[in-house]
Amino acid sequence: MTAAPLGPLLEVTNLKTWFPSARGEVKAVDGVSFSVAPGEVLGLVGESGSGKSITGFSIIGLIDEPGRIVEGSIRLEGRELIGLPSHELRAIRGKTISMVFQDPMMTLNPVLSIGTQIKLALEAHEKISAADARERAVKALAQVRIAEPEQKVDFFPHQFSGGMRQRVAIAIALLHRPKLIICDEPTTALDVSVQAEILAEMKELVAALGTALIWISHDLAVVSSLADRVAVMRHGHIVELGPAFGVLTKPQHEYTKALLDALPSRAKPGQLLLRGAGIADAAPPPRKSATADLPPLGSPYLVIDNAVKRFQKPMGFFKEIAIKSGIFRPLPVVQAVDGVSITLKRGEVLGLVGESGSGKSTLGRVAAGIAVPTSGSVRLNGKPVMSEGRGARKITTRIQTIFQDPFASLNGRMRIGDILAEGPLAHRLVTRAEAPDYVRQWLAAVGLDPTFANRFPHQFSGGQRQRIAIARALAMQPDVVVCDEPVASLDVSIQAQIINLLIRLRAELDLSLIFISHDLSIVRHLCDRVAIMYRGRIVEEGEAGTIYDNPQHDYTKRLLAAVPVLPQAAE
Amino acid sequence: MFAFILQRLWQAVIVVFAMSVLVFCGVYAVGNPIDVLISPDATQDIRAAVIAQYGLDQPLWHQYFAFLGRLFHGDFGRSLVYNMPVSELILSRLPATLELTLIAVIFASLAGIPIGMYAGYRPHSLLSRAIMAISILGFSVPTFWFGLMLIMVFAVQFGITPAGGRGDTASLFGVEFSFLTADGWAHLILPALNLSLFKFSLMIRLARAGTRELMLSDTVKFARAAGLSEFTVLSRHVLRLISIPLVTVFGLELASTLAFAVVTETIFSWPGLGKLIIDSITSLDRPVMVAYLMLVAFLFIVINLVVDLTYALLDPRLRKGRA
Repeated sequence: MTAAPLGPLLEVTNLKTWFPSARGEVKAVDGVSFSVAPGEVLGLVGESGSGKSITGFSIIGLIDEPGRIVEGSIRLEGRELIGLPSHELRAIRGKTISMVFQDPMMTLNPVLSIGTQIKLALEAHEKISAADARERAVKALAQVRIAEPEQKVDFFPHQFSGGMRQRVAIAIALLHRPKLIICDEPTTALDVSVQAEILAEMKELVAALGTALIWISHDLAVVSSLADRVAVMRHGHIVELGPAFGVLTKPQHEYTKALLDALPSRAKPGQLLLRGAGIADAAPPPRKSATADLPPLGSPYLVIDNAVKRFQKPMGFFKEIAIKSGIFRPLPVVQAVDGVSITLKRGEVLGLVGESGSGKSTLGRVAAGIAVPTSGSVRLNGKPVMSEGRGARKITTRIQTIFQDPFASLNGRMRIGDILAEGPLAHRLVTRAEAPDYVRQWLAAVGLDPTFANRFPHQFSGGQRQRIAIARALAMQPDVVVCDEPVASLDVSIQAQIINLLIRLRAELDLSLIFISHDLSIVRHLCDRVAIMYRGRIVEEGEAGTIYDNPQHDYTKRLLAAVPVLPQAAE
Repeated sequence: MFAFILQRLWQAVIVVFAMSVLVFCGVYAVGNPIDVLISPDATQDIRAAVIAQYGLDQPLWHQYFAFLGRLFHGDFGRSLVYNMPVSELILSRLPATLELTLIAVIFASLAGIPIGMYAGYRPHSLLSRAIMAISILGFSVPTFWFGLMLIMVFAVQFGITPAGGRGDTASLFGVEFSFLTADGWAHLILPALNLSLFKFSLMIRLARAGTRELMLSDTVKFARAAGLSEFTVLSRHVLRLISIPLVTVFGLELASTLAFAVVTETIFSWPGLGKLIIDSITSLDRPVMVAYLMLVAFLFIVINLVVDLTYALLDPRLRKGRA
């Protein structure tokens, strides 16, 4: 192709980026070809390990050692980038191609002011006086809609919220009016409403400046709201590439279809998701605990009455005196849960939805008897969940919890079998002789090979670990399970498997679930009833269908409007 | 910030008080200075008179409170050996130790941090491996042996530097310092080098570990993606981020070197505090020992307070919450 004005801005041909390892080459990117036209938005979609991020880093020339580009070509306006000396690559980075990363918490330097960081990025490509740099920084912040940019320029990253930090990162990426910005999951770490704002602003900025964009994401809905064309990646290859609407409504490749089928937003609520639905797992072992005293399905079971949870920093002797004498102001008390009353019926799945900081996790911990409420009570079937008095602790094993991060929640030095048997043995649900068999039955019930009992957690993938965590919770034979974002850190296809597992086990064991999530589509799919939390309070509560179709509270409406939606093919 | 300083001062008072009890009792247990002070053939009357003169006939708690009372008036007592006020004695020796340790610690930081950062920046290069080997050597070689080797090579074999003593001094603010004269520098260089070897190795290790970790961070990646040069990334981003652990160690090392430069000062016959304390222990010069140990406790407290305040200066996240 000639370097005519209408030629592609970026042309990647047969790109191969490999990482040598002890077990041979890891072919992270293995023969990828695509092009980006000036001003075009290309969505690069795939699950973790698909090579989408490595593709982005290859373009900008920042592959970590010992990875290297072994083959292929990357042409920017006809100029080959592979093999350029490092100082010439540096001159392109930030000037012609810039990049925005996933976690704005990690990308900005916490000890330098925003102004200084912008100044450093400016000085990288031009000589500029301190006064001019400051003026440019203020303008750059105003461009990404940061209020009072004259003051904010002297702020440090920790003084901004996550969304604001990402705006700062975008402002830095836009400084030199690059022709191409590579965005690597830039909204993944943000709340939905903030994500919606950033997506809208990004769309506007790109259109106004004529900047081309490569938007890397695992979230098909986010990509569909922004991209002109979509490339679906798997195992280092692009399996499908085409106009966004076409790919997402009429996928040609099996993998794209499977990805779309894994999304709860495309299935009927309560149904098993298509992906992996055909696999029949073994039935869980019989329950031992007496079920005679349980109330019938549908009657009130776990009752939280006017629960309040406050967090306050303990004060030293002198600080207390200093506060009392008015030398300085006391630290604000954090009211994480502010007078919440909610009832979980037996056999029901209650969704607890809210953005970060809404208090949903704290409420979950209070409900599970992990955290002592400052005031108010939690009762299971009429009996208190926590003991009374100063050193209050949980007194029932009937409530169990599944946590978000399956990497942090399993003890890495214990074998899976011991992890699963520990609780049931301690509470005499099984004898030592029965334990191995009991563990094997549970592993089979969550769809894992029973022989895994001898392995350690690090030998498993994230999805497998979350299955183990679910087996661990259920092996205690609970009636109520509190699930705190159990699928938030998993890929969509794994997420679909876990959702299917929960749907199945819930029916088989008559479980009552509290399902905490920020993902509205999963909650819609899984939950009978939904409570929306905002600043420590429940602002709206009701049947899932009613809330989603006819939200009453302003916050609920805003939240639902912020969710990016996939285009649906006209049937 | 004000309450924070207040809290630290309160802690300091407690520490100094506890230290005074420990030091007083400890020194009391070491031995009776009278045995050293008076010749064995002195009469019983003279003996009793001397004991009474130093207040040694009083019960221990009485002696302690008398000592505490004098302390409040800034009176550390008189040295039994030199027969001059202890405060004067210590002040005459302090500058020598101060300049020696400051030069050693500053050299260790100025040389150690950049070298360590380089080793962290290119962890697999040959030079980095050599640097790490040297730093391990710096950890494991005993100070006295390295000192003796320095004297052997530079003073005895080549005769470039003197083997010991302080050399010419010049006066600054009424205090005598060696680093103001060429001869003083010649005398300073070997003991300073000897004293800094361990700290130098420590700084290299710390700077390397911090740099190595940070080079893989998103902060550095983002800075590189914005087109910053490697030098700017290292000097503006990485150095600021690794400075907090470095400052901690700098403070601790400065304090411990000031207090315990004993070995080096003995080898190079450097007339500093370390030599003074050794002399006072062998001659059971109680007031000097007590005052010296109190001074050490005080130095540690002050340096740690300064280090804590420096944190707030380096890391804006610490400024809030305490204010």
